[in-house]
Amino acid sequence: MNKIFYDHLINIKEIVGELDNYELEVEEREELVAIIDETFHQHTLEIILTHLPSEYHQEFLDKFHQAPYDSQLLDFLREMMEIDIEEAIKGQAEKIKKEILKDIKKAKK
Amino acid sequence: MARKKKQKKPSFRLDGEALRARLKAKHQLSEKALREKYPQAVKFLEERKLLGPGKIREHATKLLTSGALASSLLLASPHSGMLGGPPSTAVSMTASDLVQSLSRQLSSLLPQKIEPLTSEQETKISHLLFRTFGIQAVPQLGSTRLNHVYGLIGAEQHLPRYPGDTINQHDEYQKSGITPGLGAWGYFTRSKKDLTPDLVLKEKYYVAVQTLYLPDWPKRTKFLYDWYKYRKVIVVNPLNGKSIVACVADAGPAHWTGKHFGGSPEVMAYLGLNVGMQKGPVILFFVDDPENKVPLGPLEYNLTRKVLS
Repeated sequence: MNKIFYDHLINIKEIVGELDNYELEVEEREELVAIIDETFHQHTLEIILTHLPSEYHQEFLDKFHQAPYDSQLLDFLREMMEIDIEEAIKGQAEKIKKEILKDIKKAKK
Repeated sequence: MARKKKQKKPSFRLDGEALRARLKAKHQLSEKALREKYPQAVKFLEERKLLGPGKIREHATKLLTSGALASSLLLASPHSGMLGGPPSTAVSMTASDLVQSLSRQLSSLLPQKIEPLTSEQETKISHLLFRTFGIQAVPQLGSTRLNHVYGLIGAEQHLPRYPGDTINQHDEYQKSGITPGLGAWGYFTRSKKDLTPDLVLKEKYYVAVQTLYLPDWPKRTKFLYDWYKYRKVIVVNPLNGKSIVACVADAGPAHWTGKHFGGSPEVMAYLGLNVGMQKGPVILFFVDDPENKVPLGPLEYNLTRKVLS
C-alpha cells in the first residue's frame, strides 16, 4: 500500500508480480520483497538528498520522520528543488527495477 | 454471474539463494553510497529506526495506526470533545457537515469527467479518507489493484445467500429483486440455518467489481479468486460525500454496460443512487483492514470529532 509519500513513483508491482511466478516460500518471498523495497528506499533518499540544497536536509528529514506518508512532502521538495524530483525518482526507480528483473531472470532454474 | 473456471497458476523454480545474494549485494551498495555521501542523514535515520529492511514501513504503519486509533476513539466517544488537544483543534462536525466537507474536497481532487486517476490523485484521496474516517483506504493492496478506482456504479439485485433463498427473505429493498443465478463466489452459505449475521451483512452491503477484465486474472486466477472474495472496500459518492464500507461478492458488470462497478440495493440506496438511471460516479478503494476492525455499512458519524489535518 501507499504508506510512503513516494510509493506511487516507484511501484514495485512488476517485480512482485514476477516473483509470484515462482514457487517461493512465504517467508522467502517476504524477505526478498523487503530487501528490494529497502533498496528502492535508499536510492530514493539518495536522489532526494542529492538534489535538495543541504540547508533543507534537516527540515526534510524531520518532516519525513513525522509523517512519511504525507503527500505534502512532495510539495515541499518541488518547492525547494530546481529539478523535477518526481521524474528523477521515477527514472532511478525504473533503472533499479530493470536491474532487479534481470537478477530474477538470472536466478531462474 | 456464473462461477469462473479456475486456471492453474504457472510456476517455475527459482534459485532463491542466488537471488538473495544478488539482491543483498545491490542493497549493500545503495546503503554504502548513501552512508558515504550523507553520513549525518544516515545517522539521523538510523537513530530513529528508519533504515533497514521494512523499518520505514513499520514506522509509517505505527504512525498511521495510532492516527486511526485516535480518530476511532474520538468518533466512538460521546465525550470526544474532551479528548486530547486544545479546544481550538476540535471542530464540531455533524454527519451532514462531514459529507459536505468530503464532497467539497473530492471535487477539487477529481477530474471533470470519469477517467483514470493519477497516482498523486489516488494518494491524496487515500489521505483524505483517512483524515475523514480514520480508515486506511487504498487503490492498491500489495500488488493487487482494480482496473478502475473511479468509475460508474450501477444497481444490482439481491444475491441468493443459500439454496432456496427468496426475495421475501431479504429484509429491505425487495422491489430490487434477486438474481436468478449465483454471485461469482456462489452461495454465501450452504443452508438457511448456517446463515450468520455477518453473512447477512455481506450480502446486504456487497459490490460487484470487474475481476474478469483484470490483466493478471488469467495468470493469477486462483490467488485473485480467493483474494477478492468478500474483499472489503469503501465506496464514496463524490457528489454528496456519502460513503459506505462494502465487500466484493460478485463479478461484473460487463464492459458494454459502460459501468465499472455494481452495488447492492442497500449500497445504492445509501449512496443516493437508487433513483433515476440508478447509476452514478463513485470512488472505490480497498480497505486495508487485516484485523477486520472496520464494520460493513454506512460511514456516518454524528459526533464531535477532531479533524486530523
